[in-house]
Amino acid sequence: MRKEEFPVLQLEHVTFRYYENAKRNILDDVSLTILAGGITVLMGSSGCGKSTLAAVSCGLLPENGGYLEQGEILLYGKNLAEMNQSRRAAYVTMMFQNPDLQFCMDTLRKEMQFCLENICIPSDQMDLRIEKAAKELGMEALLDKKLHNLSGGEKQKAALCCLYMMESKCMILDEPFANIDEEGTRELIQLLDKMKKLRNQTIIVIDHRMKYWLEAADEMILLGEGGKVLARGMNRENIEEFYPLFQQEGVFYPGVCQRVTPVRNMEVAACHLDQVSIFVKTGRVRRQLLNQIDARFPKGAMTAILGPSGCGKTTLFLAMLKQISYEGRIQFGEEVWKKKEQFQHMGIVFQNPANQFITQNVRQEVESSIMQWNPGIKDVECACLADHMMEEYGLLRFHRYSPYMLSQGQQRRLAVLSVLAGKQNILLLDEPTYGQDYRSTTAIMEQLTEKIQKDGLTVIFTTHDEELAHAWADQIYRVQEQKLQEEMI
Amino acid sequence: MKLEKLNPSVKAATVLLSVIMLSFQYNITLNLTVFFSCLFLLLFFSNARVKHILVILAPALLAAFGMFMMGLYYAKGNSITSAELTEISSVPYAVRAAMSTNLQSALQLGTRILSYAGLGILFALSTDGEEFISSLMHQCHLSPKFAYGILAAFHLMPSMVREFSQAKLALRTRGMHVGPFSLKPVFAMLVNSIRWSESMAMAMESKGFAGNEPRTFYSVTKVHWYDLVFSVVCLGSILIFI
Repeated sequence: MRKEEFPVLQLEHVTFRYYENAKRNILDDVSLTILAGGITVLMGSSGCGKSTLAAVSCGLLPENGGYLEQGEILLYGKNLAEMNQSRRAAYVTMMFQNPDLQFCMDTLRKEMQFCLENICIPSDQMDLRIEKAAKELGMEALLDKKLHNLSGGEKQKAALCCLYMMESKCMILDEPFANIDEEGTRELIQLLDKMKKLRNQTIIVIDHRMKYWLEAADEMILLGEGGKVLARGMNRENIEEFYPLFQQEGVFYPGVCQRVTPVRNMEVAACHLDQVSIFVKTGRVRRQLLNQIDARFPKGAMTAILGPSGCGKTTLFLAMLKQISYEGRIQFGEEVWKKKEQFQHMGIVFQNPANQFITQNVRQEVESSIMQWNPGIKDVECACLADHMMEEYGLLRFHRYSPYMLSQGQQRRLAVLSVLAGKQNILLLDEPTYGQDYRSTTAIMEQLTEKIQKDGLTVIFTTHDEELAHAWADQIYRVQEQKLQEEMI
Repeated sequence: MKLEKLNPSVKAATVLLSVIMLSFQYNITLNLTVFFSCLFLLLFFSNARVKHILVILAPALLAAFGMFMMGLYYAKGNSITSAELTEISSVPYAVRAAMSTNLQSALQLGTRILSYAGLGILFALSTDGEEFISSLMHQCHLSPKFAYGILAAFHLMPSMVREFSQAKLALRTRGMHVGPFSLKPVFAMLVNSIRWSESMAMAMESKGFAGNEPRTFYSVTKVHWYDLVFSVVCLGSILIFI
């Protein structure tokens, strides 16, 4: 229960858009008040303006772009626009989705010094505060390690540690777990709970996965299109009443990922792993990731690979694509492909699809793939084929957009489309649900299921989401202690 | 007393001034003296590794050799007159032929490159990047906005490397040939880097960083008496040579 009942953050009729002439307002007349103390979770479908809301509340927008059409933001009753960054930081600090882009120094200790310099703490008090914060959150061991060598979860903990040390009254976390596995997530939530209890800080979290928060959250708020508040005052006791609303908005609701795929014939294998071992080199240390694993990926079916981040799932994909060296044998049925031919048979969609676009608009992206795989095709034919494919994937109306302007879900669809334009029959997907809500996850999985039924596509995907794996996969492998174990469905 | 202890800004200024002074001199002995003193200082008064010194010097030696050959063959020769070349003499003809080219200016150019290289590695291998930036902020009034911007970009390098290899992989998965000099992955990497720089700026601001507001500093680099002594001794000895 909240002890103090005064407002920390008040948004009054806030209207915001990124481009002056944009037709749509990202935030459309949003009014929201958040009271002090406790953990508040803001949920909503992808693209509903959650992240924008967070950035606007911290004053990062419109200062870094966009137009605040109308409205006022009050932090502890004071107008945000009249404060400078250094003073704002005393009231509100923010943590972001991407763990790689939060630090400007190379070790946590230096980053913490940077934070304290920002808020003008005298230098003789710095060491004391750094040690104290690190001790309270159990981060001492990481203080002097190079940040870029830490895992995603550790980086996010480091970011939290900075915010904790700055002692701002309120913290906003923008999808803090999008890049990390379930174990890392649990640790972070424990840390947040600890911070709340130690300091009585107000914590506002943006996320679309409720299941992580049911225990820790004091209040949950559901946002709809344009950042409008659809429901608030939700907590673990009354959440069931709101189920229809969640379904309508396409937001993850725990336990609704039900198994929908029919049982498929899995007798023919598309790919065999025979005693495969993989090593990676970081600096001068050679580390074993996978140790003599055996696996069999059935043709025309979906296989999920589960496991914590950094356990070698992505690396296994790279080995299957013959991009890194490995020991053992990886076989694709009877066929033997040369390294160069590999990509005519297998496609990969990266964790962050924005990394794999090679042109400036959606149409070119698809057409360049078609041209590549069908040398000598006529322009008209190519355009026609591209139209057809984009239609099928619901991307036709964006055909002149830059791929970078699409939402995460659309980007992933485009990535799948441009990879499959070559008629590959094995598709590797790395974390297909990364940063996506229930609706677009379902959309992409349904599309793949259809492809499997129609063309006999073989799909292998990695994920940390157990529910997703159980709902869609025909076969599940789990990476555990350098081994790959098959799991019952 | 190690070179690392010196104030980076003073060190940089000393090196720069020395380079400017050397560029107006045509003194082979001076060039060589500078080069060898730099090596001497690095080997005995700094923590620089011999391997690093050699790796960086290799291209410099190549450049010096190139300049030497250029000076030797393409400068107007006057070490030996053409009359002397054709005369009968105890010196073998080949040696006289070589001397008809300009040995003097070749040596001047070659050793000058060496002296520049020596001064360059003297600074580069004994200076910590972060300390240099911090010193630029305190001694040369560089705005913290730029200073921390540079540091942030510097620390993004490992991510950029990863991004670059991923962009190459992306192109290959699409069936496109990627050679070591293809520009396409560079382009993809740069597009992503621009987006990163925005996120990075927002992350820094959200932690209270405001480019031009007053701030405190964990450590402030200062100019000590020994920094000035180093500078005066270095520049003075070159002046005496002149």
